[in-house]
Amino acid sequence: MSTNRKTTVGVIFGGRSVEHDVSVVTGHQVMRAFNRERFDIVPIYINRQGNWFTGEPLLEIDNFKQDMTSIKGVEPCLLSPNVRHHGLIINPLAGRFARSSIIRLDVVFPALHGTHGEDGTIQGLCELADIPYVGCATLASALTNDKLMTKQVLRQSGVPVLDEVAVMRDEWLGEPNKVVERIKTVLDYPVFVKPATLGSSIGVGRADSDELLRASLDVAANFDRRILVERAAIGCVEINCSVMGYGQNIEASVLEQPVSWEEFLTYEEKYLRGGEGMKSAERIIPAPISEALTQKIQQIAIDAFQAVDGRGIARIDFLVEPDSETVYLNEINTLPGSLAFYLWQENGMGAGEVVEKLVQLARDAYADKRRNTYDYQTDLIAMTAARGLKGTKGAKSTPQQN
Amino acid sequence: MPTLSIWLLLGVWLIGAWLRIYRQARFYQIEEYKSGRYLRWLSQSRRRWQPQRPIIAWGISSALAALMREAPDSFLPVVIVIIGGIFAVWPPPMGEVKKRFVRTSRAMRIVVTGTVAATIVIVGASILLNNLPDISALQLIVSGLIGLIVFLAAPLWLILGNILMTPVDAFLRQRFIAQAKAVLDEVRPTVIGLTGSYGKTTTKNILAHLLNGRYRAYPTPKSYNTTMGVCIAINRDLAQDYSVDYFIAEMGAYVEGEIAEICDLVNPQIGIIIEVGPQHLERFGSLENIAKAKYELIQALPPDGVGVFNWDNPHVRQMYEQGYPQTRLAVSKRLSPEEAKKQGVRFVAANITETLEGLNFAIIDTEAGEEAFIQAPLLGEHNVTNLLLATAVAVHAGMRLAEVAFRARTLQPAESRLVRQVTAQGITIINDAYSANPVGVVGALRVLGLHQQGRRLLITPGMVELGDLHEQENRKLGQVAAQYATDVILVGSKQTQPVAEGLRDAGFPEARLHIVETLQEAVRWYEQNLATGDTVLFLNDLPDTYHN
Repeated sequence: MSTNRKTTVGVIFGGRSVEHDVSVVTGHQVMRAFNRERFDIVPIYINRQGNWFTGEPLLEIDNFKQDMTSIKGVEPCLLSPNVRHHGLIINPLAGRFARSSIIRLDVVFPALHGTHGEDGTIQGLCELADIPYVGCATLASALTNDKLMTKQVLRQSGVPVLDEVAVMRDEWLGEPNKVVERIKTVLDYPVFVKPATLGSSIGVGRADSDELLRASLDVAANFDRRILVERAAIGCVEINCSVMGYGQNIEASVLEQPVSWEEFLTYEEKYLRGGEGMKSAERIIPAPISEALTQKIQQIAIDAFQAVDGRGIARIDFLVEPDSETVYLNEINTLPGSLAFYLWQENGMGAGEVVEKLVQLARDAYADKRRNTYDYQTDLIAMTAARGLKGTKGAKSTPQQN
Repeated sequence: MPTLSIWLLLGVWLIGAWLRIYRQARFYQIEEYKSGRYLRWLSQSRRRWQPQRPIIAWGISSALAALMREAPDSFLPVVIVIIGGIFAVWPPPMGEVKKRFVRTSRAMRIVVTGTVAATIVIVGASILLNNLPDISALQLIVSGLIGLIVFLAAPLWLILGNILMTPVDAFLRQRFIAQAKAVLDEVRPTVIGLTGSYGKTTTKNILAHLLNGRYRAYPTPKSYNTTMGVCIAINRDLAQDYSVDYFIAEMGAYVEGEIAEICDLVNPQIGIIIEVGPQHLERFGSLENIAKAKYELIQALPPDGVGVFNWDNPHVRQMYEQGYPQTRLAVSKRLSPEEAKKQGVRFVAANITETLEGLNFAIIDTEAGEEAFIQAPLLGEHNVTNLLLATAVAVHAGMRLAEVAFRARTLQPAESRLVRQVTAQGITIINDAYSANPVGVVGALRVLGLHQQGRRLLITPGMVELGDLHEQENRKLGQVAAQYATDVILVGSKQTQPVAEGLRDAGFPEARLHIVETLQEAVRWYEQNLATGDTVLFLNDLPDTYHN
């Protein structure tokens, strides 16, 4: 990329997810943050049904009040997995009288939350297309999307997390009594029951009796095949920290504390506010906790981010017992609402600087990928063709690398 | 009856002419369809333009036919002249073919037009002859003569075909260039142009490999370096490829204005000048003219473009000192870092060592004060300059020196350029079968010198196309070769004379110098005389036109 050429960034928002609307807001915050003298922005909107659109009118959030597909200048598009296209195909099913074209994207910026966006799917598409993209790669995205897997990996890396029991749906439907017994041998009430992969409050229940536990498990089983039963951290406050970076260079932001924690922070309260509400929710920045505890939390955040091989940005949510200063990592959001701009602002970084840094990190990560070899020539095909397909298994001397 | 015999006779000659036109097309192609150069090549050896067998065959068969003219109604004269014709036009063996004829559409247009022209003449002649009063034998002889002339004129038919097709070619060429321009406008990569008398292809490949560590670079394939070559690369490989960040265009110059033409097509933002040397001096007349031709690349850069210069070459240094464009990066493998900083030279190499594993040296960025240690599996010290030039562009493109060093480890030497192979007998073969030029040969010979185990054999037909410097440079080659080689085989006694003199100047033992006429003889010699542990260096870039 030439120094005297603008960088074209494709910002993807919307998405087939319950967090579609939050994503539209985040997407517009991201697009507005970019300095237009150095960046060309291509808005890419995925509607609730999963149709892809692009076009100038999508830069205006006002246009989303109506059915935007009818607005002039909005065209169907798709992100091509063909490496040569390196971007969007506009009007991919052009008929005889229309024309398809290509917009090259230098970097893709997914501003999607939840399913089909924060879970490694869009990231996988970018990997196939071989375009640098902002945020976590497929593995970290998919991993942190699954609460059970995340806990296992974090526990292995020495990051403190609350105890949990994993329940599979068919196990629960088959032998519910055994499941309840198993939970009770590990955890004391109250507990929380959550679907493993859903990002929001949906399907989450709190239980302090067998009866409520069974009810919550039934609800959760409607949302996911994998269910997580977790000890409730009574009397904990919620503290959030954002991290940004790649590889060995990861920075932590100031901490925030959402304020309605006073007596008893219920998960329900948090989830009912929803991600979108987070921006307007009252919060205390920096969180009123000791310097030592702040540093401890920041360090855990960095460790956790590295443990899941994160890159780009994340907001990591903690539960902290104020008296004992015990810290539990609760959740890693690899595409946090508003990209935690407000936290980095406290660190002296404007939104424009945050998005630029994220683009740079995306390029660094891409450069790292370019250092791997993908094209490894073997004579396997020629050998197999000569020998007939039956002989393939015998061709063990041919190394393969993909 | 005479009608049929004349048709038959001329038919034989016509088929012969077709074959000869087709055969000649290969040489015309090697001379890039430049009629003057092609004619000069033809005139260099009598058997090229006046092969003996057809003339003799026609002469003898005509004489016999004339003697038998008394025998009335005999088929014998007809049979004799036809057999003579067949004998005349029967294609001679092809000989050694290094560069095959490529059936490009242009070549085929020329061949077909030339063939059609020859056919029209023959058909016209047979109609004319058939309408003359029947004087049998003479008619046959005249027909044969016309056939012979048409046959011998094969080169002229090609030239005529070329002339007739000029407007068509010009039109197609313009369309092809316009198409390439449209492709570049569409996919808009950053264009890097690079030129120099030698080292173009190597530097291009090094640069592409470095840049590919962070971006996507597409270099023009092989040694495509003419306007058409660059167009082919664009139209074939860049069309609809939006993934390319950098398009690296190699630009060669055989005449002034050629680089300007390529630049007009690709609009480079970055330009690299590698060397100005006596390569193709014959065609340019003077080193100044060559330098002027190369400078067209710098002139084509926009004011905010970047020029990259090899400071060690005085002609290139002059270009650097011209002060255009604003951003100029100079590299040197000779200056010390302190001296370089004073001179404004950005990248220098220090502590250069060379082993059989490759080059080791430090690259110092005098402006940033950074340093990286390079270990590159490339042979030949001239590659230090090539790597420095590529590094300058990579760093400008936003790569760190450490990244450059990392990529340099995985470089591959360009095909047939100092590629080492070991034969089943354990003889190491170093092949530098591409541009044998004054800078490259020294590097290659030094590599040969690194093989201290056994005998070190140099096989070379000398360097060509050096114009006035031919004697001088080839003599120098001989002198340097005497330092590094234990045995030398010169291919072609005439053109390698200065090399032999150079060897003798340096006191190279006569018994170890062998002069042969073909490459096969040379290969046979080393197969018989060398043993395990010995090394052979091929320094050879001769087009076929030098063999025939």
